[in-house]
Amino acid sequence: MSESDDPIEALLRELAPQVLVTLVRQHRQLDACEDATQEALVAAVTQWPKDGVPKQPRAWLLTVARRSLIDQWRSDSARRQREGRAADAEPSRGPSDIDEQPPDRDDTLALLFMCCHPDLSRSAQVALTLRAVGGLTTREIAAAYFVPEATMAKRITRAKQAIVQSGARFDPPPADEIAGRLDVVLSVLYLIFNEGYTASAGPDLHRVDLTSEAIRLTRLVRRLMPSDGEVAGLLALMLLTDARRPARTDRDGSLVPLEDQDRSRWDAGAIQEGLALLTDTLGRFPVGQYQLQAAIAAVHDEAVTADATDWPQILALYDTLERVAPSPMVTLSRAVALANVRGPRAGLALLGTLDRDDSAVRTHRLDAVRGHLLERAGDMTQAREAYLRAARATQSLPEQRYLQLRASRLSLDRHES
Amino acid sequence: MKYMIMMFSGVGDSMAGRSPEWISGLHALMLGLDAELRESGELVDSRKLADPTRAKTVRFVDSKAAPTDGPYAEIKESLAGYWIIDATEERALEIAAKCVDYIEFPMEVRPVMDEQPPES
Repeated sequence: MSESDDPIEALLRELAPQVLVTLVRQHRQLDACEDATQEALVAAVTQWPKDGVPKQPRAWLLTVARRSLIDQWRSDSARRQREGRAADAEPSRGPSDIDEQPPDRDDTLALLFMCCHPDLSRSAQVALTLRAVGGLTTREIAAAYFVPEATMAKRITRAKQAIVQSGARFDPPPADEIAGRLDVVLSVLYLIFNEGYTASAGPDLHRVDLTSEAIRLTRLVRRLMPSDGEVAGLLALMLLTDARRPARTDRDGSLVPLEDQDRSRWDAGAIQEGLALLTDTLGRFPVGQYQLQAAIAAVHDEAVTADATDWPQILALYDTLERVAPSPMVTLSRAVALANVRGPRAGLALLGTLDRDDSAVRTHRLDAVRGHLLERAGDMTQAREAYLRAARATQSLPEQRYLQLRASRLSLDRHES
Repeated sequence: MKYMIMMFSGVGDSMAGRSPEWISGLHALMLGLDAELRESGELVDSRKLADPTRAKTVRFVDSKAAPTDGPYAEIKESLAGYWIIDATEERALEIAAKCVDYIEFPMEVRPVMDEQPPES
């Protein structure tokens, strides 16, 4: 799966975090090192296509970045200037030796944990992770989130300042904090994936860049932490979900629900990889929410037709998921599974328990699911109203179009009968 | 010169009674115009707003600002979406006319103010 078509761009994305990690390990200051890395990347993007890729690209980038760091320090305060000279006058360890050693796994992990520091806001964690660990430029991140480049630049600067203020250190978290900190990292990666997959505020249903970035970063975390079941589970979940992307929209960009998708268009390679990963993981590690969600995605992906879906199995998995990680969204999905096993009325009864839940009521998904189940129960008038309520509440244009169409089909049926 | 072409929420209201073909036709028209304006290089910005039932209005009540549910204007007159294009007024009116012919609901075309002082 190629995550970038341009070989230079792909190489730079891989090297950028390594360069940053090497600089931060030596100089500690994330904000200054990050600016220097970005300058080196810009230099590479302008020079490499003309002059060719240097023989030692990482060393080239490090040299340019260090020069930029020292320039920054020289033009800064006198205190910074002294530090700069100190750094400059430290050739004893033979820079070329260090530079050609890729940073070890702990350094990259430390960088990731730092970017996903719990004191930062979600949007800051996302932006920093994409830039520092993902090696994306500010312009690319801005385009992916449909915000002006200047806005994203500010957001990243603020995030770096927040890291300095929070006193977060470039050290791996202590052993007893790793699990909690890893939860934050995984939720940031999943958020990036979902932002790309559903494009909650954009004109297109898919922003390929963010989904593939999330998969690429999760692969990286998986390489760094091969013995964590939830990391593997999240990667499997992403692969098994993203595999359906080609069938999720029709030719004019409208949303196609799972049951109506042309399953021959699903990405068989991604499904194979996700299934193999999941088979290798389940039972070997403590079960967690990502492994369970991946298992549910796998049951869907393995069904040759929508009718062949093993709904009792999916319902059992949602029962477990609701115990492991209860949330209104899980209950909503469990209602769909329940409706497929015991009929739409059983699903609707479970949805009824969510009406009291504020967070669920605020989302349009409750009404969208209710519309589907009412339609299957034969209550077209109520179904149509539920679809229209959901259409008014959603913030996704493709989803709004889909719901409006769904509602209009029901009103037409009613007139004909 | 930049122009803003504005669509109003009344279109959404009239949508409820339309046939699936009409709704599909509207989506195709909108996507087509979006693509045309993007490819011609005329498009500056385009956004669709969420339904006006999602709006809140901040009013000055009892000497202080207070948020209340709902849009300020009549829902029918509430902004639903816009294109900003860099083109002639004639072209902006042409785009609006293409939509109005289909939706049978008014749209507004207005020049966007310049950020630059006039040349003297």
